This record gives sequence, structure tokens and C-alpha cells, in this order.
Amino acid sequence: MDIFLEALLNIIDPVTLIYMIIGVGAGLMAGSIPGFTIAMAIVLTLPFTFSMPPAQGLATMISVLVGGLSGGLMSGILTGIPGTPSSVATTFDGFPMARNGEPGLALGIGVWSSFCGGIISAILLVLFAPQLAMVGLEFQPWDFFMLVMFALTVTASLAGEHLVKGLIAGAAGLLIRTVGEDDAVGVGRFDFGSDYLLTGFDFIAVLIGLFAFSQLLSDLRNPVTARNALSDRKQVKVKIEHRRAIGILIKNWVVVIRSALIGMFTGILPGAGGSIANILSYDQAKKAAKDDSSFGKGDPRGIIAPEASNNAVEGGALTPLMALGIPGDITAAIMLGALLMHDIVPGPTFIKDEPALAYSIYIAFFLASFIMIGMQSGVLRIFVLVTRIKTYVLATVILTFATIGVFALHNSIDDIWTLFFFGILGFVMRQFGFPLAPMILGVVLGNIAELNLARALAIDADPMLFFVRPWSLFFAIVAVFSMIFPIYQKHRDTGSLLERLFSPMMLLSLSLPLFMMGGLLRSTLAMAAIAVSSVVLWRRFGNKPKA
Amino acid sequence: MLATFEIREPDYGVLSPAAWPRLIVIILGLLSVVYLLQSIGMPKEKIEAAPRKTMVEFILYWRNVIAVFTIFALYLAALPYLGMLIGNILFCFILLTVLGGWSAILMHLLIAFGASGGMWLLFTVVLEVFLPRGSLTGV
Repeated sequence: MDIFLEALLNIIDPVTLIYMIIGVGAGLMAGSIPGFTIAMAIVLTLPFTFSMPPAQGLATMISVLVGGLSGGLMSGILTGIPGTPSSVATTFDGFPMARNGEPGLALGIGVWSSFCGGIISAILLVLFAPQLAMVGLEFQPWDFFMLVMFALTVTASLAGEHLVKGLIAGAAGLLIRTVGEDDAVGVGRFDFGSDYLLTGFDFIAVLIGLFAFSQLLSDLRNPVTARNALSDRKQVKVKIEHRRAIGILIKNWVVVIRSALIGMFTGILPGAGGSIANILSYDQAKKAAKDDSSFGKGDPRGIIAPEASNNAVEGGALTPLMALGIPGDITAAIMLGALLMHDIVPGPTFIKDEPALAYSIYIAFFLASFIMIGMQSGVLRIFVLVTRIKTYVLATVILTFATIGVFALHNSIDDIWTLFFFGILGFVMRQFGFPLAPMILGVVLGNIAELNLARALAIDADPMLFFVRPWSLFFAIVAVFSMIFPIYQKHRDTGSLLERLFSPMMLLSLSLPLFMMGGLLRSTLAMAAIAVSSVVLWRRFGNKPKA
Repeated sequence: MLATFEIREPDYGVLSPAAWPRLIVIILGLLSVVYLLQSIGMPKEKIEAAPRKTMVEFILYWRNVIAVFTIFALYLAALPYLGMLIGNILFCFILLTVLGGWSAILMHLLIAFGASGGMWLLFTVVLEVFLPRGSLTGV
């Protein structure tokens, strides 16, 4: 209880509260502007949090995150252009509803669904993270190494259409992290005799370059659109209809909870974030509806589903971060960067060792959702003003801010050069269709992977242990199946052998490590996995209709 | 086709710290070969779909991006001499004007002073971060 009080005092400190309010506001703005992603907003927040105490810094970043996730719905509903990829599905029904003369109701439903999604996932985070951490305590270096590999392959397979490009980006990210002195012995690597390279790239500068700088360049590419305002709307006279919206939400509580759970689960999975969750849960809401004819024409359920799920994603993404030190998506990866910046290395013992900080994260998450609700109406007016700013002005100002922010990290001009080089690299990669998410995960997790590889080999030089230890094998199997997944998706609904074998084979192979782990629960799970896969296999192959 | 960009020079590292980078380079190399083979195996129509451009068209198409890169590099080179306050104001102003044209020059000047100056104040006064002073200007 003392710890909870300490954490609470950390957060309700007036300065922290002010930062959180600014953070939510900034997040709402960033989220509402098409072309400016949440990840970019968070990565640009990083340098500001450098001089703050860890709890305050994280609270600020969580506020930006929560604000950003809810900001996307404003432009999505009012202009039909989603502010972030996380609210693409919101436009399907939100925009039609606004056009039918109910923009206030559409916004209200969106805002309150976001709120519910955030709160549900915050509760689940508080409940789940310590449990997952308990499991994580079983992990040995082999298992951690494989977990990182799994995180990379699944991100690569989900991030783009092209698996090989994703894997290349991931491997390149790992390689970038190795430049400079290595952590264990301090031997210079890839320094080519230069002091600049010997110190290694500051990975926050790398992140800002890869993500923010390259994004700004893409926004500026077209000289004509760069000079246009983001939107030419003069005024919006909308009053958010809170009471009616809450009424609709209560009526559709099943949709709210289902979508939040989908979001939570998508968030826990490394690599999959809000951009997948919102479409997935929209799809589910439509499938589950008895009468889906009103979807796409302004059905409230079509707003509830994506908005509840995209806010729930973050609770999900923070769960593996807090429990295992493995981020669930890019934004969580940047949060990991913030923790590392303060010399806090999250892992299975994080919640036990740093309870005050862990509780601060929980509390900030709850509080930010409330601040978001309070600020939404006010920000709506500024939103209209901001969208009238011309793209190039906004981009230039942000770029100027980024230089100061990056410099402030280590008081070093070299870091600005890093920002510049990786801005170019990120831009080129975007143009050639390489996804950036796996690369960023590679950069963030690179030394965790190497550290655990070194530890594992120091304990026992036998590389077979990576495939014999249960958890390690478990992650290896999921990694392999995650790499096959894109091929499976291509073959979907074709009735090919691969399509019919994919899911039962995965369950079957996973039952092996589950059995190896022992214990009643896991053996039962393994039995269940075998049973389910046998049933599926028998259905698909056993009783073929006689042709 | 594009894969040639992906092939990196091998690691020349020393003893055990080299093991991890070497492993990555091997994997990266293998992936690049796969990518190369995939690109070669791609049907011809897809490759031809991208229209060929002359050098001038290329520069015109990318002119904003090239401008940002050039100005940023110049800014970085001049930063040690000008200092961050003046350097950033100049950078912001020049970039705004190059991207936005000469017509709104007064507004650009205001934005450059307001944004860079405000940011500079925020960092030096509120967050107490030391920002680089120029060797020529002293600020």
C-alpha cells in the first residue's frame, strides 16, 4: 500500500499533472493530423523526458500515447481521413454518421469507446503483467534470445507485404546496434577507425531519424501538397454528445468488451499494433452483428469496435514490456527506450524490483484516459486551427525541434548527424518498401539478444540447447510459423494443403514444448492442443465429401 | 536489382565480440541473396511498370527531399560556428523559404524566430540543458 501511495504521489504531483495534460493534448493533436503518426509523436517526446525523473517521464509519454490513440478519431470522423493508421476503420462508419448530421454523436461514441478500451486494457494490464512476469521468471538466457528472435520474425511478417524485406530490415536493425564498443568487453566494432562510430549510434537519435525524419520527408516529397494546408475546413461547430454516446455504449457493451479484448491480445503479440487491431475488431463486430446492413452507413457499432480496440492495444503492448522487457509494438519499443535511458532494464523482476515505477505506469495509464476525455472538446477547436497550418511549415518546425531534442540527449552534435544519416536511410527504405517496424525493434532489442546469446553460450556452449529447452523451443516454433504466416495468408480460401495444415500443425508442434514444461495446467493445455488439432485435421482430411 | 544495395561488407571483427555481428551479417547476406533471387524471378511486366526518368526529372521529382538533405547537412556543418540559437533560426527560416517560396517571407521569419527561439528558451531555461554556443557568435 505504501508503494501504491508513493506511486500515486509521483503522478499527482502538480508538475507531472501539467506534463500529462500537455502530453495528452500533444498526443491528441499529433494523432489527429494525417501523416503524423503516434510513434513519431512519442519518439519526439523522448528527449523532453530525459531530464525528468523516470516516473514523470513515463507518465508524460503514456499521456502522449493515450492522446494519440484517441486523436485519430477526430479527423477520421470529421474529414473522412484517418489521423493515424490505428483509426482507419473508424472512418468506415464514423464519417457517414457525421455526414448524416450527427457528428457530435459520432465523436462522443468514438471518445467514450476509446476511454472504455483504455480503461479495460489498463485493468487487464494490472492483472496480467505480474502473472506474465511470474512465467517470465522461468526464462533462461536461451529462452530470452528466442523470444527476441520471435518478436523480430513476427514483426517482419506482419509489418509489410514482403516477408524478406521485413527480415532484412530486422537484421539490419540488429546490425546497426552492434556498431561501437560492445557491452561485454568494450572492443570496438565496425568503427573503421572513427571515434564517431566507436561510440556507437545513440539509439534514440536512430529512432527519431528512422521514424520522424523520414516521415517528414515523405510528407514533404510532393512540392504541391507540401504547400497545402492539411485540411481546408474553416470551422467546426460540433458539440460532443456525451450522454447519448454513453447510452449507446452501455447498450452495446458486448461490442465494447469484445473489441477491447481483441485490442489487448493484438497488443500483447509483438509487432502487431493498433493498425491491425482496429480493422480486426471492426470485422468481428460486423460478423457478430445479426443485421450488418447498416455497417458502413453510420452504425455506432462500427465506431465502437475500432476505437475501443485501438486504445486497448497499448495496455496489451505494455504487458510484455513490463513483464518480460519485450515491447509489444513500436510505441512500446520507444517506451523501452525511455526506460533504458534512465538505466532501468525491464525484465521479469521489473515489477518486483521497481514497484513504485510499475504502479506509476498503471496509474498514469488510468489517469491519462480521464484527462483525454476532459480535453477532447477543447482540443477539437485547436484541431481545426492546426489543420489549417501548411504541411511544410509544420514539418520544418518539427524538424527544428528534433535537432534540439536530439542534441539534448548527450550534448553532442554527433547525435544530430546520426539523426540525419538515419533520416536518409529511413526515407530510402520507405521508398523501396522496406517496413521500418522490424528495423526499429532490431535496434531496440539488439543488445538484449546479444547479451542473452552470450550468457547462454557462456553457461553451455551447446547450441542445441536453443531447441531443446521448452520455452526456447516454444518461441522457435512460433517464430517459424510466423514466418510461414504470410505465405499462408496468400493461400487462404484456395483450399490448398498449406491452408488446411497451417493451424493444426502449429497447435500440434506447440504441444511438444508444453508437455516438456510439465505441470498440470500446461500438460492439460498440451492435451487440449492435440485434441483440437486432431479434430480439425480429421474434419479437413478425414471425411472428405465424396465427389 | 535492389538487393545489391543490401549486400554489406563482411565483418572484420576481433575474436568473440565478432560472433554476434558475424551471425547477423551471415543471415543478412542469405536474406539478400533470397531477395536478389526473388527480384530476378519477378515477371518482366512488373519491372517495366516503373517509368524511366531522366536525371532532370528525377531531381525535380525529389527536389524537396534533396533540398532538406542539403540544407540539413549545411546546417550541421555550420552548427559548431554559429551555435544552436542562430543556427536553428537560420535553418528554420531557410528551409521554410525554400519549401514554401518567397511570398510568405515575413511569416517564415516570424515562425523561425518564434519556434526556434521559444524552443531554445524552453531547453536552456526550463529544462536547463546546455545547448551549443557558436565559436564565432558566442551565443
